[in-house]
Amino acid sequence: MNAAHVPTGIACGLPAAGGIGLKPEHFREILDTQPELGFFEVHAENYMVAGGPFHHYLTCIRERYALSIHGVGLSIGGASALDEAHLDRLAVLLDRYQPESFSEHLAWSSHGGAFLNDLLPLPYHAAALDRVCAHIDRVQERLKRRMLLENPASYVEFAASTMAETEFIAEVVRRTGCGLLLDVNNVYVACVNHHRDPRAYIRSLPLPAVGQIHLAGFACDVDAAGAPLLIDSHGAPVAQAVWELYEFALEGLGPTPTLIERDNDIPALPVLLAEACQAQRMMRERVAATDEVCA
Amino acid sequence: MNIQSAFADALLAPEAVCPPGLLAWNGSDPGRRFAVYRNNVMVSLIDALADSYPVTQQLVGEEFFAAMARLFVQAQPPRSPVLALYGEGFADFIEAFPPAAGLPYLADVARLEMRRVQAWHAADAAPLTEQELARLLADAALPAARFGLQPSLAVLRSRHAVVSLWAAHQTDDVTAALAQVAVEDAENALVLRVGLEVDIVRIADGAAIFILNLQQGVAFGAAAGQALAAESGFDLVAALGMLLRGGAICSAGFSRSEAA
Amino acid sequence: MKTTTTMTAASLALAFGAALSIAAAPVAAQDKMMDKEKCYGVALKGKNDCKAGAGTSCAGTSKIDHQGNAWSMVPKGSCEKTASKTSPTGMGQLMEFKEKKA
Repeated sequence: MNAAHVPTGIACGLPAAGGIGLKPEHFREILDTQPELGFFEVHAENYMVAGGPFHHYLTCIRERYALSIHGVGLSIGGASALDEAHLDRLAVLLDRYQPESFSEHLAWSSHGGAFLNDLLPLPYHAAALDRVCAHIDRVQERLKRRMLLENPASYVEFAASTMAETEFIAEVVRRTGCGLLLDVNNVYVACVNHHRDPRAYIRSLPLPAVGQIHLAGFACDVDAAGAPLLIDSHGAPVAQAVWELYEFALEGLGPTPTLIERDNDIPALPVLLAEACQAQRMMRERVAATDEVCA
Repeated sequence: MNIQSAFADALLAPEAVCPPGLLAWNGSDPGRRFAVYRNNVMVSLIDALADSYPVTQQLVGEEFFAAMARLFVQAQPPRSPVLALYGEGFADFIEAFPPAAGLPYLADVARLEMRRVQAWHAADAAPLTEQELARLLADAALPAARFGLQPSLAVLRSRHAVVSLWAAHQTDDVTAALAQVAVEDAENALVLRVGLEVDIVRIADGAAIFILNLQQGVAFGAAAGQALAAESGFDLVAALGMLLRGGAICSAGFSRSEAA
Repeated sequence: MKTTTTMTAASLALAFGAALSIAAAPVAAQDKMMDKEKCYGVALKGKNDCKAGAGTSCAGTSKIDHQGNAWSMVPKGSCEKTASKTSPTGMGQLMEFKEKKA
């Protein structure tokens, strides 16, 4: 299949502003204080329950804010066929909340009927490319919308790989017409872990396909040789190096919806809002700087 | 294909093994890098269980809980990407787990905690309105009414003081509260989500039998009769009042197909 | 007839009516009457994330065989404060626990 068959719906209708991940810890405070924010993002699977408080709060919050639904369990990079029951659940969820954006990962998480609850890496070669493209075609067809595909953070590489990650991603975008979710923290983590140049990585992606950006914090470890091994922990503020890489990405992208991801050691709501503000400020400053040059 | 199988097997294996075909840019042992994935799979799933079973965890302590949960995860990894209800088999696992045999009440505490999680996420249903209830009261066929109860409602019958044990861990001074608990006392728990919160209430034998009968579609009169037969002191008014107050009755039907 | 297992339609209607008025009574009085333990404000977390756990110190690297000697762990939590009449110590949760013969 090629891009001509892709559903015409926009991949990302989020405002080019800062957003944060929605956490149950903050449900009430958000409704009570109604902070100014570009959008909220939720993990799809957390809302695949029949009823109760999760749906109650998401319904209330969605009425007031733009929403991104981010899947973490579809296993698009999986060797086996996509889980159609899971796709059905996604379709129901997207229908219910009508999010401005839906995204998933270039990774796998299910195998042999077991769900491993991690975003696992895949080798980059022709067979994997065919499979990933077929899966994304199916997702877009079933959900009747374009999706954004997120670049992964990874800790190992495969001897079987024959293509660079960016080459693989570019080809997926070309063949399926999907958009990209550029996770700048993942770029940084993966490039440190695999000794690559993060700016060159970003430059070799099909940037016009980027519909959203993720920023997050990482943890530091070392590999068996003592080389730095960064862990995509989502448990710390966005690192300075990642802010700098974000600024570099904005040069190529212009203002882009940007999410602050925090899944570990979740701080008070204002702390996350401040990070989202910083992203927004950087977008605005870039635009202002560009305007000056043009004037 | 084979790469993923080997990778997945190594993630859940009891011993740290590194699947073949992995590389690190500096030629270092990829096993150390692979351990990030292994660590994440195990820790995240153990944490998911700890979130669902906080009192079970407090009873045995974090270290014992993590070790027990790890064995459970290896034996019964999630079958669905939706983790909200992961660990339904954990109570049965605990029951058959020799190192926990000294705590015969532990499995039922876990059962209660899973009922609580299930109630939390159960479907929403509107209770009968005042007008509907008044009409039902005036209906001569009231004894034959079969009630549809809230999807979140569950009754757990235990040979142990499962509600008291659970409740003691909701207090500020757990030790003091536990000193008041006689674990060998049999207790029944009623679990019901009321609004956005899950209530856990201790109920008498008669009330438990009454509600379980209603839940199975037994008619109101027959369910009350069953409860009264089991417990002569069964307080129908209190049991029914509790259900009504919690908005637990969502429908009433009069199909007479089933023999009482 | 205290062991009767049937209730008349009239008594059922009476009970239903009384229960309706109980349900309408003020909450504080009801809580007292119902011996109620409430799960106040407990917020469950979302369990699906896309984070990685920090570190490589993999939990589960040591083989644990709970049937054999390798498992030497004993519960160490609030169970130690839970009185048990059937345990040898009165607080029994040790692995070696054997139920006391009556």
